[in-house]
Amino acid sequence: MMRKSALLVGGAVASGLAAAVLSGFTGATTQQDPAAPAAPSAAASAPPAYTIAAGDSAFLKGPKQPILFRHDIHAGQYQITCQYCHYTAGYSSEPGIPSMQTCMGCHLIIAGADSSNQKEISKLRDAWNAKQPVEWVRIHYVARHVHFPHQRHVKGMGPNACATCHGDVARMPQVWEVNDVNNMGWCINCHLERKVTRDCTACHY
Amino acid sequence: MSDNDQKSVSRRRFLSVLGTTSAGAAVLSGCSTEKVEKLIPYLVQSEDQVPGVATWYASTCTECSAGCGLHVRTREGRAVKLEGNPEHPVNAGKLCARGQAGLQGLYNPGRVKGPMRNSGGTWTQITWDDAIALLAQQVGAAGAGLAVLSGAPRGSFTGFLADWTSAAGGRLVRWEPFDQTPLRLASKRVFGRDEVPSHDFAKAKYIVSFGADFLDAWGPTVEHQRGFAESHGFSREGGMAKHVYFAPRASLTGLNADEWHAIAPGSEALLALAMAWVLLGERGIAAPEGAPRVSLEQAAEATGLKAEEIARLAKEFAAVRPSLAVAGGIGSQHAGAVELCAAVLLLNYAAGNIAETVHFGSDLDRGDGQAAFASLQRAMDEGQVKVLLVHEANPVYAAPRAGKFGEALAKVPFKVSTSLYLDETSSQCDLIIPGLHALERWDDAHPRAGVWGLMQPVMEPVYPNRHPGDVLLAASQKAGGVFAKFSAANWEAYLKARWAAMPRPSDQDASAFWRAALARGGVYVPEPLTPVKGVVAGAVSVEPPAIEGTGEFTLLPYASSLLYDGRGTNKPWLLETPDPVTKITWHAWVELHPEAAAKLDVKEGEILRVTSAHGSIEAPAYIYPGLRPDVVAVPMGFGHTEYGEYAKGRGANYLDLLGPASGEFMPYLGTKVTVERVPQAYRKVAKTEGNTRQLGRGIAEAMPVAFAAKGLTVEEAAKAAGHPRHEINTEAEVEALQGWRDGQVGREDGKGRRLGNYAGEHPMWGMTIDLGKCTGCSACSTACYAENNIPWVGEDQVLRGRELSWIRIERYWEGGTDGEPVEARFVPMPCQHCDNAPCEPVCPVYAAYHTPDGLNGQVYNRCVGTRYCANNCPYKVRYFNWHAYAQKAFVAPFELQLNPDVVVRARGVMEKCTFCVHRIRGAQHTAKITGAPIKDGELTTACAQACPSGAIVFGDLNDPNSRVRQVAQDPRGYHILEDINVRPAITYLAKVVHREPAHAAPGGEEHH
Amino acid sequence: MAVAVHDAPTQTHADVTRDVVATLAPATKGYYLLLFGAVGLFLIGAITLLLIVKEGLGLAGYQPPVFWSVFITTFVFWVGIGHAGTLISAILYLFRSPWRTAVYRATEAMTVFAVMTAALFPIIHIGRQWIFYWLLPYPNQRYLWPNFKSPLMWDVFAIGTYFTVSTSFLIFGLIPDVAAVRDKATGWRKTVYSLLSLNWQGTDNQWRHYSRAYLYLAALAAPLVLSVHSVVSWDFASSLIPGWHGTIFAPYFVAGAIYSGVGMVFTLLIPLRKYLKLEHMITDYHFDNMAKLTLFTGTILFYAYGMEYFVAWYSGNTFEQTTFFRRAFGPGWWAGWSMIIPNAFLSQLLWFRKIRTNLTSLFVISIFINIGMWFERYVIIQSLANDYVPYAWDQMNPTWADWGILAGSFGWFGMWFLLFAKNFPVVAIQEIKEFIPMPRKRAGGHH
Repeated sequence: MMRKSALLVGGAVASGLAAAVLSGFTGATTQQDPAAPAAPSAAASAPPAYTIAAGDSAFLKGPKQPILFRHDIHAGQYQITCQYCHYTAGYSSEPGIPSMQTCMGCHLIIAGADSSNQKEISKLRDAWNAKQPVEWVRIHYVARHVHFPHQRHVKGMGPNACATCHGDVARMPQVWEVNDVNNMGWCINCHLERKVTRDCTACHY
Repeated sequence: MSDNDQKSVSRRRFLSVLGTTSAGAAVLSGCSTEKVEKLIPYLVQSEDQVPGVATWYASTCTECSAGCGLHVRTREGRAVKLEGNPEHPVNAGKLCARGQAGLQGLYNPGRVKGPMRNSGGTWTQITWDDAIALLAQQVGAAGAGLAVLSGAPRGSFTGFLADWTSAAGGRLVRWEPFDQTPLRLASKRVFGRDEVPSHDFAKAKYIVSFGADFLDAWGPTVEHQRGFAESHGFSREGGMAKHVYFAPRASLTGLNADEWHAIAPGSEALLALAMAWVLLGERGIAAPEGAPRVSLEQAAEATGLKAEEIARLAKEFAAVRPSLAVAGGIGSQHAGAVELCAAVLLLNYAAGNIAETVHFGSDLDRGDGQAAFASLQRAMDEGQVKVLLVHEANPVYAAPRAGKFGEALAKVPFKVSTSLYLDETSSQCDLIIPGLHALERWDDAHPRAGVWGLMQPVMEPVYPNRHPGDVLLAASQKAGGVFAKFSAANWEAYLKARWAAMPRPSDQDASAFWRAALARGGVYVPEPLTPVKGVVAGAVSVEPPAIEGTGEFTLLPYASSLLYDGRGTNKPWLLETPDPVTKITWHAWVELHPEAAAKLDVKEGEILRVTSAHGSIEAPAYIYPGLRPDVVAVPMGFGHTEYGEYAKGRGANYLDLLGPASGEFMPYLGTKVTVERVPQAYRKVAKTEGNTRQLGRGIAEAMPVAFAAKGLTVEEAAKAAGHPRHEINTEAEVEALQGWRDGQVGREDGKGRRLGNYAGEHPMWGMTIDLGKCTGCSACSTACYAENNIPWVGEDQVLRGRELSWIRIERYWEGGTDGEPVEARFVPMPCQHCDNAPCEPVCPVYAAYHTPDGLNGQVYNRCVGTRYCANNCPYKVRYFNWHAYAQKAFVAPFELQLNPDVVVRARGVMEKCTFCVHRIRGAQHTAKITGAPIKDGELTTACAQACPSGAIVFGDLNDPNSRVRQVAQDPRGYHILEDINVRPAITYLAKVVHREPAHAAPGGEEHH
Repeated sequence: MAVAVHDAPTQTHADVTRDVVATLAPATKGYYLLLFGAVGLFLIGAITLLLIVKEGLGLAGYQPPVFWSVFITTFVFWVGIGHAGTLISAILYLFRSPWRTAVYRATEAMTVFAVMTAALFPIIHIGRQWIFYWLLPYPNQRYLWPNFKSPLMWDVFAIGTYFTVSTSFLIFGLIPDVAAVRDKATGWRKTVYSLLSLNWQGTDNQWRHYSRAYLYLAALAAPLVLSVHSVVSWDFASSLIPGWHGTIFAPYFVAGAIYSGVGMVFTLLIPLRKYLKLEHMITDYHFDNMAKLTLFTGTILFYAYGMEYFVAWYSGNTFEQTTFFRRAFGPGWWAGWSMIIPNAFLSQLLWFRKIRTNLTSLFVISIFINIGMWFERYVIIQSLANDYVPYAWDQMNPTWADWGILAGSFGWFGMWFLLFAKNFPVVAIQEIKEFIPMPRKRAGGHH
């Protein structure tokens, strides 16, 4: 395995980790350069996002999140690619969830178009200032005896890879579980259609 | 437990669920789908921590003073596996069982959680500030009354301790129970070199060991084993070195010798000199003047060997060069150990091995010796020591109780310990400032000249502890005065400063040098070897050593290759891994020779009382043929009274039987004892072996070196040796099977039906195990434990034969009856991944099935637990979860060591060796992403990776150029139980021995 | 016909009905003691099972390499018990053997309850009892089917079939008798019996259909006597364990099954007959014949044991030889001999008519037969203890959990049998009547 290249120097990880782990650790944050916002200009062509006040989110599908994060605005209206935030999905078995820093990369500047958005974004900023990670409610969960390598599926299935399992998140004001990812039959069907492996130890080991 | 540390543990948990579905903390519940409710993001993601991708750091192992280099695999900010650093000159990518278990020192529940103050026997948690203040005040007042007792030198920190104590005019004593003082003193006497030489086993063509257990626990064992495998492992080009072992007991080293001679304890020096004289005669060299004359008869009389026997061996030894003679093992460290080492150095000198295979100048890591320790104890007794700092040492346990160190310790007004665990010594201290584990701290190690290994924090500390360096620096600042000069901001800064001062290539600035060193795990320059000038042969006296006490048996306490001097006993992996020689787990024992046992009418498991002038201990008997009848052998490392739940109250500490150390080193072999049977007392010995003989079933094959050199197969060799019935298939049988085989599993040429998809578009994973190289050290078993989240089951379950060791080391006795020498054969036995596997068709739910790439898949979540597969497995390598072993074993914080890539098995399912399928799949994922096919050798199993002898090779049998394919075609290759036609994917290479291998007659079995 | 009945009872149809129905009279203290005993044992088993499900199979005495132990032993034991029942009720019916009439009802009931007991074990003995249904072939979204190559699968089917057929055979055979009981019964019992009797009126038409259908069911049940235990034997024979991997296993197991079954029949019938005062219906004649059957099957076992040893020696296969050597002289020798002595040698005593007709001696022997046959299975399982790799050898070593389940199985079986004996005619009224010469005068009161 690519151990050699991965051999790392402790200084970075120590501080990086510390940043990740120790709330209230200063210095590390300065070490990382904040990712610049990269909202494509194609925004115009995207459907304008309708306004949802936090209060309404209860009526939306899917579990209520601590912050009403609008995938439909980020992925839909602004067409930010999935892997801009979930960037490890392309080369790791785990998609990961964007670090608070990734959010702040944009939201240091972007404060939100209307009051309801501003309200939500301010929650994010407060959390960031308090160095308290936001505790998102988990939606997709693959049982622990299944190993689902995201990178292979992203690589193999191309642009629509994500939507195949997660549904059209770009149209979801609040994300819900479109497909039961623990339904093995559902996995198998897909593997049958695409004539890919059905070996048990591809996923179970 | 302070609220503080609660938080720190929960931090680890939080790390472990970072946006990942399979983090260790979570995997525990095995096949359940109950959900993790929250996903907690990083605040700031460090560039080198990618969820689901392993990050490797270079570090250095601190389990003993050999200083092997490590590569630490971390996932989601947790260290999950230790492997050897291929660049490191000492271990070259290999690691022993103790090193593998280092993780369990890191995640040990017995670790001290934050500083503690001892007020009248009750420990109270205090803050770091208070601890530092208290320390500063005490140290400041101590002045010359300051003393530090540390373990073997580690590098910069020991240096710092030296400066720090001398600043106050105090003293530093570096005491290592198994330091090689006798060898050092001998070198001083014979060559005027006050140092421990290093030995090059790889180069030696003939190895004679006078009780030096170089494969067990004597010196840098991994380095020794690598070299030994190179010289003693058979190759048709290079032949094979011969290894002769002289000692009262056959240790693991002895069992790997071609000849073991059970000589009388204390007679080694005479033997060595006698051999030297023969050798001089043979080579026609003049004896170095003053060398004491020893005749063969004298040696024969002392050792109990025949004179002509000695002559033969000496002649053999003289015939080849370079050869190597080693001495100084713990097992034969008696009062005459210095004479012994000196004699052996002379033998090496006479044989011309100095600077050939015995190197001076490498200056192996060592302590200050027993004398310094004794004088410190005297000072403590006389009340000169006001403040004692104990660092990486546990003398209350590791020094004989008769030495009364405990009493001396009690006389010290203020005692501080930096111990990570509450061991016998630290529990008697007034203050504990718990240090950090090697994987949590900045540090370096200087195990030998030319090697500077670095340690770096690969993860956040498991508990809110601090590096002693940080604490002492802070305390120094507080104390001021003589300590004021220690003004470094923290230990990291101090260390970096020291490194900045180190000689470095001109083109590198300090920080580049530092970063390069970190990446490589240290700085390695060729050892500055220096030739010896002149020899003082007269320095050797041949007085047989005094063995005190009365009694018919000599007590031989030996260093356990797993528990070492007892520091391994708090690590469940090391307790569950069977002792390589006796195969006993979890408890202590007393070894008796069959004759002695018969005389005392003792059977295995019956409790013996061993009594010396200094004490008496009781332990179950183990009947061991590899022993002199007048010796009882006992393993060190048991009988802790503190040191955490796993170590506490486990067996007896045999050091209690020994007298106080006198002179410059500890004569472990120095007491006579009486042995009696405790009536009606019995304890079933928790050993993993069933029958000790292979009953001629051809499981562990061997052939004489002459046949191997001719390139004979096992079968031909057996024929040539004229065995009545040879051990594997007759041609007739093979022929009879062939047609059936072709139909069943297809032909070699790929025609016919094949199980799995072996036509070639898939790899066909396979393995070879060279029994000629395997020493039975059990590093592979422990590595497998670590890699595959295998839980330990504990003594009561081992007694029921329920241990889950996916690769077990079977040890069979050959010979030993009617005068034949005892021969041990070690066979690592993982799942054989048969092409034609009996386990597969019998599973009613397809949980056991064959994968296209030739593995015996085992789908845990499909398994309902009928256990038919295990019944039908001829190799008995399937293991069942009779209870919820994992949930019982991996108590916090052990669960953090779990490998997220491997499911933790739930109760009621069958598990077994998977050929590290998760590594295979991982490599395949990477290959898919990068588009670069998996290269031979870049993917290997945990056992193959760990094996210090390089006996295990793993790879793709479909690839004609793969190493495994080539090794599998070696004429020595055979399959275990070939005639039942299950077509194992593992090819064993028969052991090669320097004499006609003893042949086990069927029926000659031992019931147990 | 009458010749067939040696000591032809000088009784009328009415007497028979009366006597048999009398067996259903309100129970005595003794009966309830027995019943409570049985239920108590059953509860012990139930509690043990609960603990096992909670804590894990580890509670039982499994000691690898012995991955199967007392549970499988007991499973095979109970399956075996069943066979004598079917043999007597179905095969002997087809052969028109007269002596079965008096005993077949009891033995058929024994069969059903034995199979009911055995059927529990595949569930008890697996590691994850809560998903035992994965062993059944049912369509599912995972596209997963059980492995029909696995002998354990065959077991599931064999036991399933056996249970269905023998149960329907029993219930069907009961119809006319239940009707007879119904006519004597009152209250809720009457309703139950009416339901079970399927409105039986004893008309010629009903009789014609009845006897035909009964014949077919008998024909259906007959082959099971051979098939079921053969399949069970393949659990072992189709593996490669030395001591299991034998071609002789199927006939050997079937003979053993019938042998143990008849043994159990003795154990049950001899006391039952006394307690229900059926001496004049179940006579020495019947026991004599069953004893001959025992002798016959016992002798087959004798041969089988001998043959196993012969083959082990003759094959020159070291693995086989070690196994059989250790069977007799290894650490488990005591089990080995507790199988050989009762089964091979004790059965030979039945050559003597005196012993065959002496109920006491028969009863004693039958007890030994039960023990011996249980140990036969125990010994066979014990072959696991020392197979190919000597390093892995170990002995099996049962614990309280094993005995708990064993006791429970006896309790469960006894409970059902006792309940049956008190609520249904244990002797076939109608078939006994067939052997009674038709009375000249019409006996009134009953058709």
